[in-house]
Amino acid sequence: MAGATAAPSNAPRKKGGLHISRSALPYVLSLPALLVCIGILIPFVTAVWYSLQRYRLSQPWAQKFNWGQNYLDFLYDSSFWNTLQISLTYAGLTVGIELVFGLSIALLLQKRSTLNNFVSIMLLMPLMTAPALAALMWKLMTNPGFGILSYFASLIGLEDFRWASSPSTALFTVVLVDIWVYTPFIMILLLAGLRSLPTQPFEAAALDGVPRLQQFFRITLPMLLPYILTATLFRLLDSIQQFDIIYAMTQGGPGDRLTVFQVEAYLDFFQSTNIGRSAALLMILWAITFFLSNIFIKNWLRLRERARGTA
Amino acid sequence: MEHTSTLERVLRGIALSLIVLFFMFPLFWIFLMSFQTNETILRIPPSLFFEPTLGNYKALITGKLDTAAGSLDIAFMKNLWNSVLLSTSAVVLSLILGVPAAYAFARHKFRGSEDIAFTLLSFRFAPPLLVLLPLTIYFQQLGLADTYVGLIWVYQLICLPLILWIVRGYFEDISADVEYAYRIAGHGWFATFRKIALPLAGPGIAAAGLLAFIFAWNNFVFALVLASADKQPVTVAALAFVTASGIQYGQIAAGIVLSITPTLAIALYAQRYLVEGLSLGAVKG
Amino acid sequence: MYEKEKDLARALARRSISRRELIDRVGKAGLSASAAYYFMGRAGTEAMAQDFDWKQHAGKSVKLLLNKHPYADAMIANIQAFKDLTGMDVTYDVFPEDVYFDKVTAALSSGSSEYDAFMTGAYMTWTYGPAGWAVDLAEFINDPAKTAPNWNWDDFLPGLRASTAWDGVPGSELGSGDAKQWCIPWGFELNNISYNRVMFEKAGLATPNNMSELMEVAAKAQADLGGPYGIGVRGSRSWATIHPGFLSGYANFDQKDLVMQDGVLKAAMNTDVSKSFHKDWVKMIQDSGPRDWSTYTWYQVGTDLGAGASAMIFDADILGYFMNGGDNAEAGNLGYAAFAANPEASAPTPNVWIWSLAMSTYAKDKDAAWTFMQWASSQEHALFGAREMDFVNPVRQSVWDDEAFTNRIKSNYPGYVEQFQASAPGSKIYFTPQPLFFDLTTEWASMLQQMVANEVPVDEGLDQLAESVDRQLKDAGLG
Repeated sequence: MAGATAAPSNAPRKKGGLHISRSALPYVLSLPALLVCIGILIPFVTAVWYSLQRYRLSQPWAQKFNWGQNYLDFLYDSSFWNTLQISLTYAGLTVGIELVFGLSIALLLQKRSTLNNFVSIMLLMPLMTAPALAALMWKLMTNPGFGILSYFASLIGLEDFRWASSPSTALFTVVLVDIWVYTPFIMILLLAGLRSLPTQPFEAAALDGVPRLQQFFRITLPMLLPYILTATLFRLLDSIQQFDIIYAMTQGGPGDRLTVFQVEAYLDFFQSTNIGRSAALLMILWAITFFLSNIFIKNWLRLRERARGTA
Repeated sequence: MEHTSTLERVLRGIALSLIVLFFMFPLFWIFLMSFQTNETILRIPPSLFFEPTLGNYKALITGKLDTAAGSLDIAFMKNLWNSVLLSTSAVVLSLILGVPAAYAFARHKFRGSEDIAFTLLSFRFAPPLLVLLPLTIYFQQLGLADTYVGLIWVYQLICLPLILWIVRGYFEDISADVEYAYRIAGHGWFATFRKIALPLAGPGIAAAGLLAFIFAWNNFVFALVLASADKQPVTVAALAFVTASGIQYGQIAAGIVLSITPTLAIALYAQRYLVEGLSLGAVKG
Repeated sequence: MYEKEKDLARALARRSISRRELIDRVGKAGLSASAAYYFMGRAGTEAMAQDFDWKQHAGKSVKLLLNKHPYADAMIANIQAFKDLTGMDVTYDVFPEDVYFDKVTAALSSGSSEYDAFMTGAYMTWTYGPAGWAVDLAEFINDPAKTAPNWNWDDFLPGLRASTAWDGVPGSELGSGDAKQWCIPWGFELNNISYNRVMFEKAGLATPNNMSELMEVAAKAQADLGGPYGIGVRGSRSWATIHPGFLSGYANFDQKDLVMQDGVLKAAMNTDVSKSFHKDWVKMIQDSGPRDWSTYTWYQVGTDLGAGASAMIFDADILGYFMNGGDNAEAGNLGYAAFAANPEASAPTPNVWIWSLAMSTYAKDKDAAWTFMQWASSQEHALFGAREMDFVNPVRQSVWDDEAFTNRIKSNYPGYVEQFQASAPGSKIYFTPQPLFFDLTTEWASMLQQMVANEVPVDEGLDQLAESVDRQLKDAGLG
């Protein structure tokens, strides 16, 4: 058992602690984990501090505290609004499509059968592929020279389909890759939810002759809603921070079409060495994710309560 | 409910086939590509028929890449080993730190416990770059830059919250009665934890550990920013097959296949645990 | 046990036999070629060892940060010679170009003492220098105790020496005033036409002599050849898209990125001449460029030429050079031509990219690091690399005077030496040195992408770009 490795290293300290104080025990147990994370909090505070400064590495003499000027500048900065819009669009599109797609697949696979189980395991595979590598794979597949997808596109009359390299299809392409990688995540979560639903309401509805479509909207969907919310929020949090796929495929291009938060911040830091702007961008992204994660965690806790109640 | 018409069954079959095709085809195509030379890859139109070669894998495994510019050393196997080392150590450390903490959160409602737990989980959702960029400077000062230890620590950002929350859910699902009974029989706290709680939560711990391993394995940006070339994992190394004398498409493909094989193998072998882990312990499988 | 190889190598170093002769003799005598290569490097270093104490840092170790590049390969192939000469050890990290410069920034901005010296280009030192990450190398170059007398700084092509020096004042001329030597030129590239001779012959095409001919030839090649596209140029959202062919053509019309006006910098890319050049460039890509141009980096441009997917490229001459060898499908079929975009111009004006060596401020032992840099940029290593490896274009005049090198190029790379000689006098860095170089060029590339995609008309796009650049310059206290 994987957990067994945890025991010996904790043994010496815990033996003594047990007799000393019962109330201190939980603190002792959670302290190491907390300490590790506090180590991560320090750079966070540093980032806040950077974001409040005029700070370009190429002009070290001009570094100074500037009272949130970086944030105020965003108000008039069209590229910031573009970043915000693209990030939200990307997150909305990916999560929306993955949700519908994932739910459909979960419904198809709902019944426990050898075939269905086999298929659901197969569908795990894209999720096991690193997003950066998945992007690389799709880049190869959409190569206009030898890419198999470009070839397929030309077979159905799309001779000049340019995938990630054209502004009109770039968003479509990265969203497609995201869907390929992450739909299985939503599918698995909803499948688990579906299979744990109590059977009585459905049996009763079937006896009453309620049409299946109505059953879905009146019974399945409401009961599944907490799972859907959990999956949605979880994905939304990841998706709004997308970096690997977009950076590996287009570095934010073509034009400013895909300059989402983390890509823009990465370029600001490493290419323009404009640390102040980079940190301020990330702080805004953090504020958005913090707000979302609050909702997520509360919802998730409610879901857990419910799952335990019905179990 | 069981009366499904033939038409429905056919439609269902078609839908499932299309879904499997969409999700499996890219992997299949890359797999085929990894057995081809640049010459056959660059053929137009693409063809399923080619003479398979093991040359790409051979180049990766022996670390010798023959190109126009002469023979080039590539350290792909070293990168593969880095991935194994980093992901495994990160998960083991996460388990050591996370499982006792998860137990504490589940069994003892102590002052501030929810706040602490919430803080820990919210780390999972902080933009990684936000922490990473200042961290480069601190790591330099602490002497952690470009060390496995430093990287494993940063990997806790991915692994620890995941393990903490999934395992906590499992502990909460296990009735505490058995533990009380065992305690009353005169066993100490630690013995109870080890002999009763841990084995009961076993599947949850396995699920969380596997999932954390996969997330760690798939990470790209941490090592890219923090480590030198000899400590890069495969996700970064797969970028390295572009050389000045041309892009080695076959080797990229072989590199991708080698880098995703371990996680795919885990997925196939331990899929039951993975599915539980992915459901965040919210439901019992 | 390798005495015979050693003798042959020494003979080569004395130029009493040619390299080909040596390989020949090695083969005949049944000696090992790798040993011969090794001693070739050795023999060079033996010649170096006079008049200077190369062993003064024996026992020390130097760590390098390198880009995956033939220059680095050539250096690594010869590294044993350095170890033997100095008694020092060298370790290195090699990163692919996609992430290389980010890696350098990460290492230097964190004050890492991990690396003593690293590969870079002049544009990067416009950040590294003011940020205090790179050492002014003049103090080493001018110190006879640290630099061997026969290292000969004056042997480096003068334009390159100037291009790698800057006084840190935004907008000032490179190499002027009390410029600091931020890096040492190592190998460099000019931007001209490399074309597929076989394809050009088949379609009855001649190499173009100006921008409108370039557009015509590219369009005709694409139409007549049925398959390959007309011309490869870079297009990714990065500074790398602006600096090769694009800026070389742009500069030929006497256009500038920025101008100094009343002591402040102003954007200059929205002049009428600039607009008409942009229109031609955009049309050329739309008509005869690669279909996924906006993802094109050095690697795609080169790979396509080497695989016969494009008829020509307007990019680094050495990119065309690399593609003419190895296992590329079109190896041996490529030709080279100098190119002046402006019909009125008297000569080409290639913007140059200079791979250089720089020293980190945080280097643990700067003198030891300099010993390595000195060796790596020495005539002996340059000759080894130019004759035996793909260490081209050499930055030293003496290598261009070396017949073993030029004969090798002339016999395998038709037109290469000619294009070089025709365009070398007009070649330099045509960008204005200033710390916002990457902001400006990334935005420029992004704007080009939008123009090529017909998302914004060229005139309007350039006005927008100029406006945005002016605002950023002002924000940074430069405009």
